[in-house]
Amino acid sequence: MYATQSKRNMSFEYQAQIINYRPSLHTRRANLTVKFQDIYGFSVEGNVDDVNVLNEVREKVREQGRVWWALEASKGANWYLHTHVSSTLKASLKLSALANAITLKRLIRKGIPPVLRPKIWFALSGAAKKKSTVPESYYDDLIKATEGKATAATKQIDHDLPRTFPGHPWLDTSEGHAALRRVLVGYSFRDSYVGYCQGLNYVAALLLLVMKTEEDAFWMLAVLLEDVLVSDCYSNNLSGCHVEQRVFQDLLTQKYPRIAAHLEALEFDVSLVATEWFLCLFSKSLPSETTMRVWDVLFYEGAKVLFHVALAIFKMKEDELLLSHHVGDVINILQKTTHHMFDPDDLLTVAFDKIGSMTTNTISKQRKKQEPAVMKELDQRFRRLNSLKDAVGQ
Amino acid sequence: MATIGHNNLNAKLVLLGDMGAGKSSVVLRFVKGQFLEFQESTIGAAFFSQTLAVNDATVKFEIWDTAGQERYHSLAPMYYRGAAAAIIVYDITTQESFSRAKKWVQELQKQGNPNMVMALAGNKADLEEKRVVLAEEARTYAEENGLFFMETSAKTAKNVNEIFYEIAKKLPRAQAPQNPAGMVLVDRQGDAARASSCCS
Repeated sequence: MYATQSKRNMSFEYQAQIINYRPSLHTRRANLTVKFQDIYGFSVEGNVDDVNVLNEVREKVREQGRVWWALEASKGANWYLHTHVSSTLKASLKLSALANAITLKRLIRKGIPPVLRPKIWFALSGAAKKKSTVPESYYDDLIKATEGKATAATKQIDHDLPRTFPGHPWLDTSEGHAALRRVLVGYSFRDSYVGYCQGLNYVAALLLLVMKTEEDAFWMLAVLLEDVLVSDCYSNNLSGCHVEQRVFQDLLTQKYPRIAAHLEALEFDVSLVATEWFLCLFSKSLPSETTMRVWDVLFYEGAKVLFHVALAIFKMKEDELLLSHHVGDVINILQKTTHHMFDPDDLLTVAFDKIGSMTTNTISKQRKKQEPAVMKELDQRFRRLNSLKDAVGQ
Repeated sequence: MATIGHNNLNAKLVLLGDMGAGKSSVVLRFVKGQFLEFQESTIGAAFFSQTLAVNDATVKFEIWDTAGQERYHSLAPMYYRGAAAAIIVYDITTQESFSRAKKWVQELQKQGNPNMVMALAGNKADLEEKRVVLAEEARTYAEENGLFFMETSAKTAKNVNEIFYEIAKKLPRAQAPQNPAGMVLVDRQGDAARASSCCS
């Protein structure tokens, strides 16, 4: 997922590598770097242990698939849609809805099988509902209306298309570029206030890989920006993102004061790493299946999931981080850790079982608390820059 | 900020410039000796470190490669705050990127560390046939504003190591007189002063 892709026939290379490294397994096991392709087609570099972990993950994904099929068989195909406990429901139905809700939350944290992702993400994120409020032809009409139009956003999108996961066997083809372009350009016209923000290219690219259709990927992007994430994450001066970074810093101080104090002493600001995490929703840092597992929960439980995951990454490396002497060390530790998180359960277990609960409500309060300070700072900066411009103009 | 111990110097360096000017490519060429025709777009910023030997001292650069899109501008102070050096990169094939570079220079002059060593890099120098920014124009601008100027090409490696090397040579001299407290400058002042005159 991260910048190790190169333009080659990767599936072929994968085969070749497997055959080549087996005989030397016992000799230089730890030092061997192999290049292979993961289930979403990304070229990954890792050692033999990483390959084994990925194979175990594939097996776990299959097992998890069997659990979901069994539930469909016993509860009905769309059972996960019946988790809403409304006051008009009969008592027995309420109980079953509640039971479904509890089962679903637990199940989703354990992972949605890749084949079911398009359907379940679409239903549970609110994308289906969003789409249902507009005419059938909305997406087609939007794309037609944007054809041949050139804006600041389209120019930037065009620039980024070949720079979005270069080397990916589908994304980095003319077909992949065209699909990504339509989704991003379409969205930039749907919300011209957001337009195009770098980072969305990676998010939209992964949505295209997961969702069955381009149109569904578009709606997932829409629901993500309009309902799931905090507003203004990507717009204008990224004020929403600035707020999230401050909330994250506060949470780290609350939950892990030792780590926070040590990092502060090194003058390490969490946003040095977390800006990319939050804007790309981990897609540039975590291996693909791990990213997808984070997104499974994100679409169901909301933006607070990003805090859970970010805190977990720091927590998992607590000992190493406390020994670091330098900002650069901290970044290297975190980068190496995220790039090698091939087993999603390692991360998600910490994220949801060890962090302690954080309700959406308390996080909203923290955001409210931070907003004025962020706005003030951005405003001051804006004024300073404007006074600079005036000075230059004279 | 640059910190000095014996003959070793740690220096924070930031790259600023328009989207697609080639900031990441310049860094990748310098740090890994590689070039990718399509370099992934940087989100937030990326961190690298690389050590250079200058005369018989070493300079360890801690490099912050920032995102170029305008809206990421609000993050930039975090990266240039306390930086000992900055490379402002533009693309010689677009006037827009040169204008943006000038804005960065003004901002750094006003907000950045006053002793910062600033370099202006006219990147993509291999694309001579598409050139719109004249080297002379950029050189004059750089001289007027106290920057040193080089045209670089991350693709062909032209002047990439050189620009970092020039910065490394300028660092001690730029840092030492203004920051006597807490810094131990060991017998390098003579060399540093000699190294100071060169440019582009």
